[in-house]
Amino acid sequence: MSNAVVIKGTTYGFSVFIDEQAEFSVISAEMQEKFKESARFFGNAKMAISFEGKHLTDEEQRQLLDVIAENSEVHIVCIIEHNSEAEEMHKRSLEERLQALDSSNGQFYKGNLRSGQVLETETSIIIIGDVNQGATVTSKGNIIVLGTLLGNVYAGAGGNQNAFVLALELDPVQIRIADTIARAPDKVGKMLWKREKEKNKEPKIAFRSGDNIFIEPVSRTVLNDIKL
Amino acid sequence: MGEVIVVTSGKGGVGKTTTTANVGTGLAKLEKKVVLIDTDIGLRNLDVVMGLENRIVYNLVDVIEGTCKINQAFIKVKGYNNFYLLPSAQTRDKTAVTPEQMKKLTDQLKEEFDYVIIDCPAGIEQGFHNAIAGADRALVVTTPEVSAVRDADRIIGLLEANEIKQIHLIVNRLRMDMVKRGDMMSSEDVVEILAIPLIGVVPDDENIVISTNQGAPLVGNSTLAGRAYMNICKRVDGEEVPFLDLAGKGGLFSRLFKKN
Repeated sequence: MSNAVVIKGTTYGFSVFIDEQAEFSVISAEMQEKFKESARFFGNAKMAISFEGKHLTDEEQRQLLDVIAENSEVHIVCIIEHNSEAEEMHKRSLEERLQALDSSNGQFYKGNLRSGQVLETETSIIIIGDVNQGATVTSKGNIIVLGTLLGNVYAGAGGNQNAFVLALELDPVQIRIADTIARAPDKVGKMLWKREKEKNKEPKIAFRSGDNIFIEPVSRTVLNDIKL
Repeated sequence: MGEVIVVTSGKGGVGKTTTTANVGTGLAKLEKKVVLIDTDIGLRNLDVVMGLENRIVYNLVDVIEGTCKINQAFIKVKGYNNFYLLPSAQTRDKTAVTPEQMKKLTDQLKEEFDYVIIDCPAGIEQGFHNAIAGADRALVVTTPEVSAVRDADRIIGLLEANEIKQIHLIVNRLRMDMVKRGDMMSSEDVVEILAIPLIGVVPDDENIVISTNQGAPLVGNSTLAGRAYMNICKRVDGEEVPFLDLAGKGGLFSRLFKKN
């Protein structure tokens, strides 16, 4: 007997591995033979089936199912598709949809985040309070701080490159949006505790463009460009 | 019923023990019943700063383990009627005591005393958790340096997470001349970062070093630090006291010059 068809059974179904080179008539004949042989072993189980190795048309799949039905008592309940293109598309659109949900849904946190404290959210987050140095905020969506932001922030943690960070006073140690990281400039010869209050007194927004993170004062133009 | 106050900082060497000694002594001078507890097991030195090392027979661990009665471990501070020190053990470590045992002890002591003041060890490990277990309020000590302020911020977060709501800040070792030059954070800068109410500012004063080395807290004497500490004691006790002008030691002439 040739091995154009190899059948592997699991508790819930069959995986049928088909030799890519084999003629359909050979495949069909071999399926017939193999299911006849093992009909008693499978009994009248309800199973799922997947075809692997060779691409079959819908018509060919239907014919093979007929072969199974004629030669055994097994009920094939469904066919599991192994279409990597379709799978990739489903995955992508699902992720995009979830990302959009993460960004457009939000929650509030009231209080100061102090050194060593970590706030992680699946959605966007609005913090009413300060984020001190040594504290970390991570969000799959956007991060808005109604206060002073001096710690570390990571927006778009699920990979959303449109995520943004906005704060009344924006002077963080590090900003990360999706996979881009920006850090504060080194303060060589300067007092670490001195904040450039003049420079930071207006609300600012950090967003990603290309492979860079830009920080700009909040203006209508910038806000218009936000994609949720 | 009295209050349990923990003196803490996160970072070491910023003046927790000095503050505990001075605040405790100051409250005793205000006729309060006070007991100091050193929870820095293995690195005890509150007794040294208080000048009481030679009187230690039993210690905190002995009390917790039931080796002695609590009154046997108390060291009465000379010159006061109701002022005691419960010293730490030097030969054990922080794991000799649990937070539950500490809470039970302080709950018991605050029935008897107006103020139970706890000297917390540096760090955020078990020693810290022991020290804060029974605390009603906290005095967070920091110096105006970024490292100390950062650690104070961490400590405040942990105190808040442990439901200690009344937290006050002491800025220690401030040098006004450096602040004026812009070389040191001012107490306002520190408060802006830590966002908790300020209860006192203690200047960097060599008299503190002298008093520590003599084992006699300087609170209440005429030095600037002595006055600053006395003011903290009064504020702890609920009195409203204006903050000292730490730069104003030049007297009449400097004030006249400033105006011109």
